[in-house]
This record gives sequence, structure tokens and C-alpha cells, in this order.
Amino acid sequence: MNKVLSNKKAIAIFVLPPLILYSILVALPVVWSFYYSFFSGTPGLKWEFAGIANYIKLFKDSNFKAALWVNIRYIAIVMLGQVGLGLALALMFEFWLKRFKSLVRTLVFFPVVLPTVAVGHLFAKIYEIQPNYGLLNSVLSAVGLESLVQPWIGQASTALYCLIAMDIWVAMGFYAIIYYGALLDIPGDIIEAASIDGCNGRQLFRHIIAPLLKPVTITCLVFSFTGTVKMFESALALTGGGPGNATKSLSMYMYNVAFGYNNMGYGSVIAIFVFALCFVGSKLIRRFDESY
Amino acid sequence: MKKKVLALVLMLCLMTAAFSGCGKDEGAQSNEGTSQESNQGSSDNVNTSDFTGEDPQLEKHIKILSIWAEDNDNGILINNILQRYQDEVNPNFSYEYELVSADDMKTKIATLASSNDLPDFFAYESGTPLKELVDAGKVLDIGSELERIGAMDMMNPSAVSLLKNLAETNELYDLPLGLNIEGFWYNKALFEQAGVEAPETWDEFEVVLEKLHAAGIQPLSCGAGDKWGATRLVNAYTVRLLGENAMTAAANGDAKYTDEGYVEGAAKIQEWAEKGYFGQGVTTVDMNTAGTMLCSSQAAIFYNGSWFTSNLNDPTYNLQGEEGIGFFNIPVVDSKVSDSNSYSMNCGNILAMDKEKYDDGTAWFLKYFVEEIGNEAMSTQGTVKGYVYTVEEGEMTHYTSLVLDKIMNAETAFAWYEAKMSSEVSTVAQENVQTLINGDMTPQEYMESIQEAYDLSR
Amino acid sequence: MKTLKKILIKMLIFILCLIETYPIFWMLTASFKQQHEWVSKPAYALNSGFHFQNYIDAWTRGHMSTYFFNSLVATLVALFFIVYFSVTVGFALTKMRWKMRKKVAMFFDMGIMVPIATALIPLFQIYNKVNLLNSRTGLILVYIAFGLSLSFFLVTSYMRALPQEILEAAVIDGCDIYRLMWHIVMPLMKNAVMTILVLQFFFKWNDLLFSMTFISSSNLKTIQTGLLYFETEFGAKNWGAIFASVSMSVMPLLFIYILLNKRVIEGLTSGAVKG
Repeated sequence: MNKVLSNKKAIAIFVLPPLILYSILVALPVVWSFYYSFFSGTPGLKWEFAGIANYIKLFKDSNFKAALWVNIRYIAIVMLGQVGLGLALALMFEFWLKRFKSLVRTLVFFPVVLPTVAVGHLFAKIYEIQPNYGLLNSVLSAVGLESLVQPWIGQASTALYCLIAMDIWVAMGFYAIIYYGALLDIPGDIIEAASIDGCNGRQLFRHIIAPLLKPVTITCLVFSFTGTVKMFESALALTGGGPGNATKSLSMYMYNVAFGYNNMGYGSVIAIFVFALCFVGSKLIRRFDESY
Repeated sequence: MKKKVLALVLMLCLMTAAFSGCGKDEGAQSNEGTSQESNQGSSDNVNTSDFTGEDPQLEKHIKILSIWAEDNDNGILINNILQRYQDEVNPNFSYEYELVSADDMKTKIATLASSNDLPDFFAYESGTPLKELVDAGKVLDIGSELERIGAMDMMNPSAVSLLKNLAETNELYDLPLGLNIEGFWYNKALFEQAGVEAPETWDEFEVVLEKLHAAGIQPLSCGAGDKWGATRLVNAYTVRLLGENAMTAAANGDAKYTDEGYVEGAAKIQEWAEKGYFGQGVTTVDMNTAGTMLCSSQAAIFYNGSWFTSNLNDPTYNLQGEEGIGFFNIPVVDSKVSDSNSYSMNCGNILAMDKEKYDDGTAWFLKYFVEEIGNEAMSTQGTVKGYVYTVEEGEMTHYTSLVLDKIMNAETAFAWYEAKMSSEVSTVAQENVQTLINGDMTPQEYMESIQEAYDLSR
Repeated sequence: MKTLKKILIKMLIFILCLIETYPIFWMLTASFKQQHEWVSKPAYALNSGFHFQNYIDAWTRGHMSTYFFNSLVATLVALFFIVYFSVTVGFALTKMRWKMRKKVAMFFDMGIMVPIATALIPLFQIYNKVNLLNSRTGLILVYIAFGLSLSFFLVTSYMRALPQEILEAAVIDGCDIYRLMWHIVMPLMKNAVMTILVLQFFFKWNDLLFSMTFISSSNLKTIQTGLLYFETEFGAKNWGAIFASVSMSVMPLLFIYILLNKRVIEGLTSGAVKG
């Protein structure tokens, strides 16, 4: 047995190709980025050593702080929304939905397959106000809620939340399905036993279901975090970062700096910061998972 | 014919006068153009090439990176000329036309520049962005080349002068794709409905806006979604208050962006937003939509440049017909500071050329291009691109001759708001104008943010 | 009381389904609207007649056919390799015995934390130097590389649950490592593979950052970048055509999804993500 499992040649064949690919395209760039962050300008155009100056600049940069705040709010709310609502949906499927189970599950998963730019265009039209009311505003107007009609993605106070709503809408079906699967695995007798013992809905959830769902939750949170920390495509498609910089994420800021201002050095600093953010976030989430 | 010559001469005068106060004229690289061998061994030594005869049909493949789709705006013109050159003049010529979005253009060029892989021709921004490429020695000294191949006289001298001043160079490093004036286009039917006429002074303007608003008409449509549509308005009031050199002075450090006149300029646009002149959610409206709103009578006034005529000449776009849209220059505040013959002018996006790849093959195409584009633009779209053209006036549409008329009347010129700003400052000015319009930032704060970005970038 | 509760729940579910699907329904009907319908009628109005020209415009002028093809090729090829690597490396990392095993596992794990933004600039430089910019291969390679970490993470949890006895039995029967892999392990990993396929498909199909940065020629663009530049193509916002192209990019997916629905959900749910 051991001989088969320690077949060195097989191991090499299996592991080496992806390892090499990964090292060059994923690991190396991170180190490279770190190296770049000590320079300013663009290699080939105007490349100067800047030492720690870039990092100091980062802490004083109000644009950076604004983008960071946008990212944090986005990540927090979207993660909660996607996973939380996904869980809620799954619970509903399991306990309340008697008929049409398959149909509803399919419908709920639809938005997940849409390309993000498409969703962005779609919602831009939904949130529209000038020259014509988009879907949301025209419905509000039609039911007599004219006072609620406003430039949803045109004003800083609501733009980010509209973006968040859009991204939650897209993915909650996905997490619902994952949770639903996990729920199916919980043996029905446990639940029956608990209700016979007098547990009501809330207690059932808190003491039985939640703990059993913990590993799934961790995984979902990791998925969600990975997706949200990027925050680029959907914001670009819906608002382009505006109004002002209300929906401008760190990734977008980095893209601007590196490719728009031709300052790849400073852009790399922001990139390294995003990496650090991702690192800390993942570790925090994993903390909750004992089996790790 | 005569009108044209007069226009050219006037332009030359006013451009030189207006921009002579601009920035420092740095000693630009006055390189000889290129000196490499051409791609296939069929060329003579560059210096002794004779460009007066027939096109030698050199084998050449060029790459063009553009921000206009093949069937839109300048894309049509460029492609027509490329195609004709290949079909009628040089069958050994082939080309690759590539589209990149305007937002990504600078990115692509920057990366291509750093790997010495710039396309033969590429769309770019005149002024400071171009200057960076010039300083790095990446772009061709087009002016010298045009002299060498004998095509310089196809260039409109005012366009040349404008571009040189913007990039602060002694030589011409880019090809204009427009010679535009800007101002307020208005919907005549709506004006009649509200009983107003095109204003000449700023006070009259405010009255007109008020009356339109009272008549239930949206006074202004604005491409605040594209940001620059809004900063143009700030520019308009600022220049009328402070004179044509206002933005240059601030960029030189001779004045501060936070000085009173500049803040007032910003305040004006916020005031209009508060009064509801822009309709709701103007920051979601892009220039295109704003234009269609004017033409479909959903708004009465729209600030844009003379390139707008290509849309106005299109009956599917312009529902108001051949004479339904009028034009008035930015109204005057104090004619001693800035008068009604002073216009905002620019050359639009420009075409720059890679220095490394340039050879005789490219040179012959360049010659053809410069010779053809003036006519192509005028006959196909009725627009002026900054080249000499020979289309007779009787063949022009109403809008085209309207614009030419204004160009003729222009005596002084000034550039757009961000013309003299670096990328970082320009971004701040544009991003924050949306916040300004929404009332989330005071005019003072807006100008301060610009000043801050300016100080940081020094 | 109970019936009231039941009705409320039914309503809730109905509203939920409505929220999830109405925007898509709206997009489909709106894609048949003519330009003036957008202006003259409220947004929620149904289309009056089927203006198919929008679809024709999108397919031809909008080049949706090209973009679709590009997205599909890049995604499918990348998916194939990701799945292949996931199973092989997953197995190697969990079941096989070798010295560096733990370290390599951790190395791959770190990848989950690398956001694309961080690697973008250096990747650009690397690709530039080896001439992989603006190439299908380049895009696929980077898709594969960035899909590995998350997929390994998923697979390893399944692998650990694989009963040792099955493997032992196969070895006793005379299986060498390769047969073990293909004939025993692979089939058992069906659910994991399903999950990876769906997840990675979602990420690759939706990728914008990579394709935006690395691809510049129009005939290599993917759907996302194509859609983003759509407005430039059409000048004035031709919403009908834009929605038509969006619908086109979406319809095949929805169709496949409806067909494979059961399998996909089964894969995701049965024994999935036990953590």
C-alpha cells in the first residue's frame, strides 16, 4: 500500500505542473508586487527608487482611506447578506416549502449564472431616473410612492447600498443551495426528537442546526470573502466608482493609480495592502473553524 | 473659398495671442524623425526620399489603436481613409484597427510604451499626457516629418499652434482630430414655448433658466455622469469671471485654485443643481444621453462642442431637424474680462505616432491621411478636424456652417478645465464635481481638494 | 391562525421568487423594445411587439458571437485543467506519502488569500516579456493558476473523507497508482468535481479584471469586456440592443442550467462542503 502511495514519479507528475504554474503566476507576483512597492513611476517610462516613501504616502492618502472605507462596508454587508440570506432561504426551503421545491430552487439560482457586467447594466436601468424612470422608480411612482423616487445610483448616500443590494441579489441563491444541501444532511430524527422534546423553532435553530452547520458556514464565508474583497467588476459596471468616489473600491483605486496615472510603484503598495487585508480576513474567518 | 482663408488667418492670430501666455516652452526634442530601415528592403535612405512623386507602394502593415468604433465618429473617417489607401493607392498596405475604451486608453498605451510596443498610430489626449510620452522619447516628431514629406500645408495652423501650446513643445507631436469650439446648444422649440431668447449676458442667462424652469421645462441637460460634462460648466463661469488665463495661472502657481473667482465658478454649478435646473440624478446621465435629451425636447440647453454637429446632422438622432437646434456662446459677465468673442476651444482627442516603428511606409500613409482627412470629415460628417479641406460652402449643412461661422467670429480662445492639470489633479477635479453637484461638498471644499491634489503632485 | 401563517409564508416565497426572477424577465422583454419605447413608456411596461432587430444588431454589430466563443473556450479549457489538477494534486496532498507534503499544501493554501489585484501589475510585466499579452493562452493560464487554491481547498476536504479501505482493496487487487487515480478515486469525487465546476465556472465566466487588462484586440475579447464596451460601439445608448446582447450571453447558460439543474444541485448538496 505504502509503496503505491509513495510512488515518487507519480507524485511528481501530479504535483509539479500545477505547482510550477501556480508559483510563477500566483506566488511570484506577490513577491514582485512587494518589490515594486518600493519604487515609483512605471518601469520603462519613469522608474525611481522611493524606499518607504510610498508606504508613508499611503497612510496620508485620503483617497486610499476613502476607498478602504468603501471596501470594508461592502465586504461586511455583502458577506452578511449573501450568506445570511442564503441561510434564511435554505431554512425556508427545508421547513416551509412543501410544493414546487425544485422550481423555486432553480429560479433562485438564476441570477448566479449572469455575468456581472450584464447585471450591472441591468440594474443601472432599474435604478435609472433621468431621462426616464427606471424600473424601480417607475414602480414606486405607479403605486403612489413618488416621494421615494430618487437618483439611487446618482447620490453618494444610496449608491453603495444599491450596489450592495445588487450583489446580494446575485449570489444569495448560490449560498442557499449550498446550505440546503447541508441541511439535507442533518438526520431528520434529530429534528424530530428535538421538537418532541418541546423545542420551538428558534431554539431548534440555535442549539441544533446552527452548530451542525458551522463547517459549511465557514466555507461559505471564505467563498464570500474571496469574492467580495475583490470588489471591481460589479462596481465598474454599475457606477464606474461614482458618484465622486462613493463606490470606488481599493482595487479600482489601484487600477487607476497603476494604469491611469502610470504609477505602478504606488499602485503596488495598494495591491500589497489588499493582500494583507485578504490575509488577515481569511485568518480571522478560519479562526472559527476548529478542525483547521 | 475666401471665407475659409479668412477663418484660418483669424484662427492663427487668436491662437497665438491667447496661448502665448501659456506655460513654459520647453526645448522639445527636435529629432530628425526616424532613421531606421523600413520593414522590407525596398526603401532608400530616409533623408533622400522624394515625397513629391507617386506613392511607391511599399509593403507596410500598420496597427492603429483607437477609441472610436469603426462605425462611429472618427472611427468612420479613419477607416474610410485606411480602406481607400489600401484599395486605391497602395495594395501592399495592410492595417489592423483596434478598439479600446476611452477609459482604458491611457492604461494600454502606458503598458505598451513601457515595453516599446506602441502601435503605429494611437488615439491619445493632447496636453500633459502627451507631454509625458514626448519627454520619454516615445512619440514621433510629426511636425518635422510633415515638413519633410511636404504635407505641412495641409495642417490648419491654429490647430497646430493649439496642440503645441497644450503639450508645451516647440514641435508638433500629434495630429488633431478636431478643431472645436464649445458653447451652449439650445432647443428652439422649447425656447419659444417658454418665451425666451438666446442670452448674451450672464444675467440674461439666469433669467432664461428661471423662465424655462417656471414653464416646466428642464433648463439644462448635463453629462455629469461623464464628469467632464460638468467641469466644462464650472470652467465656463470661471473663465468669464477671471479671464482666459485663469486655469493656466492656477496651474503655474500664479494663482490658487482656492481663490475667490474659482470658488465662485464651482458655486454656480451647485447653485443650478440646487435650483433643480439639471433635473434629478444628473450624475447618472452621460454625455450621449444628455445630447439625446436636448434633441428630443426633454431639456432646453446642453453645453457641448462643435463635434456635436455630427450628431445634429443625423436625422435619427436629432429629432428637431435641420434648424431646430441653436447655439450661443458662453454668456458674458464682464466684457472687459472676457467678452463674447472668446470661445472655449480644443482639438479633441488626437492621434500620436510611435517613433520606433516609423519608416517610409508609414510616411507615405501619413501623407495620404493628412491630405484626405479634411475633405473626408467635411463631406461625410460636416465637421472640421483641423486640416485644410476643399468642400464648397453651399454643400454644408446648416449646423456645419453655423459652427464655421462662430469659429470665424472667435477672437480669443481658452482651454477646458483640466487642460493644464496633471492626471491626479484632473481625476480629483472630475470625481469631486459629482459630489459638488450633489451638494455633498461645498464649493470651497471642492476647490480645496483640487488645490490639495495639486500641491501633492508638485 | 395556522392558515394565515401558511398564506403568509406562501406570499413570502412568492415575493422572493418574484424578486429573484423579475429583473431577468424584465430584461428579456425589454430586449425586444424599440428605442422610442424606452422614452415614451414607463420602464415596467411590456414590450409592444417583438423588435428582433435588437438581437441581430447585438450578434453582428455587437460581435456577441465572437465574445461568446472566447468566453466559452477560455472558461471550458481552464475548467478542464482545474478539475484535472484538483483531483490529482488533491489526492497527492492528502492520501499520498511524501516529505514536502504539508509544506506544499500550505503553499497552495496561501493562494486563496491572493486577490487578483495584487498580482495584476507584475503579471502584466511578466506576460509582456514573454509575449503572452493579448493571447488566449495567456488568459487561460492565469485562469487556471488562480482557480487552483480554492479548488484544492474544496477537494481536500472530500478526499480526507475517502475511506482508506477502498484504496487498500484496490491496491491489493493489483492497482498501480495511475489506475487507482482514474478508476477508483475520480469516480468517487464526482460531487467535489461538480462543486468545483460550478464555482470555478462562476468565477471564470464573470472575470473582468484579467480580460480587461490582458486582452486588447476585439476578436479575443470575452463577454464581460465586450459588454462593457458595448455603449462605445453603439454611440447613443441603444438599450434594446444592449439588453439583447445581455440576454444572449445569458440564455445559453440558463438553458444549460435548467437541463443540468438536478445534477448541479445534487453535486452541490450531497455530502458537499463538509468542511
